[in-house]
Amino acid sequence: MTDVRTAEVDPPWEGLTGAELHAACMQAAREGNRQAMARLVEELTPLVWHVARANGLDRAVAEDVVQTVWLALFSQLGKLRDPKALAAWLITTTRREATHPFGRRLQPVPLSDEVAEAMPSTQPAPEDEAVRADRDRRVWRAFVRLPHRCQELLRLTVLAGRAEYQLVAEALRMPRGSVGPTRGRCLDQMRDLLTSEGGSR
Amino acid sequence: MNDVGASGGLASPDDGILLADIGRFLDELDPPPDDLVQRVQFALALEDLDVEVARWERMDNLAGVRGGGTGTITFTVSDLTVMINLTKIGKLHRIDGWLVPAGQYGVEVRVAEHGTSSTTADEGGRFVLDNVPRGTTQILVHLGDVSCRRTVVTPTVVL
Repeated sequence: MTDVRTAEVDPPWEGLTGAELHAACMQAAREGNRQAMARLVEELTPLVWHVARANGLDRAVAEDVVQTVWLALFSQLGKLRDPKALAAWLITTTRREATHPFGRRLQPVPLSDEVAEAMPSTQPAPEDEAVRADRDRRVWRAFVRLPHRCQELLRLTVLAGRAEYQLVAEALRMPRGSVGPTRGRCLDQMRDLLTSEGGSR
Repeated sequence: MNDVGASGGLASPDDGILLADIGRFLDELDPPPDDLVQRVQFALALEDLDVEVARWERMDNLAGVRGGGTGTITFTVSDLTVMINLTKIGKLHRIDGWLVPAGQYGVEVRVAEHGTSSTTADEGGRFVLDNVPRGTTQILVHLGDVSCRRTVVTPTVVL
């Protein structure tokens, strides 16, 4: 890396990636290193976000939950002994926060509309783009109509396939690139939804 | 069965295609908001992280409060409820708050890039903070006495 740095010594996690990076940051964070915490937040916020969204929270509530989860982690860092358990802890805590009955209301509006409306309109687009946008909209609608458990599993499956989320794969004991039986059933269900929506169009 | 095949072969897309679609959606349609990481970092930039995290209550009227400038919001943590009423005065806010159960507790309001305003609630649990700048805001309540101090913090919210 040739980027300009201040005179500070490189942090101990410099050059590490994936699980090793997270373990080194957790270690340093436990000793009160704020830079290490910042690094973890930067790396793993998308994971927490997608678990919150998979569990039926709208974007505004998901933002709060992401913050709550990180505050909860760093206010009780001592309790999480095994840095390898970090992903599992984040996933479980986010899920629990998302389904917390206390003071939280699940939105009656289906998620599909919120995001479908944000999709580019098909009107001015060239034809193949319009076809693609139309297909995307239908695939997305099928996805958000899946049970939360499936949405979460599929989002996590996708993240786990990316190098930077190796720890998710480890937490889920998921060999890279494989689609297990439960995920297969979720995908079948998604295909059924797509077919039924396609037919009623 | 039907003719969806004509618009992109949807009859039976295989697992790989669907997963690739979902992957694209996660990044393009439903990514975390751009400033979320920054807001988390701000929420965590506390001197002492030995805190309890409160939850904002989602009332129907909250939708109008975010970024809108005026209204009442509530947050709760185990045994404490804090109600905040916001009044917009020019570019600033006046915050009227009420703690239940009541107590003369310290209250701090942190606004990103604007520092902290603090006050102490009266014995009825009421407090007022004038001239609070608008922006990414976090509220802290210091409960208890010297022997047993507790700090309750909220996630940040854009006010």
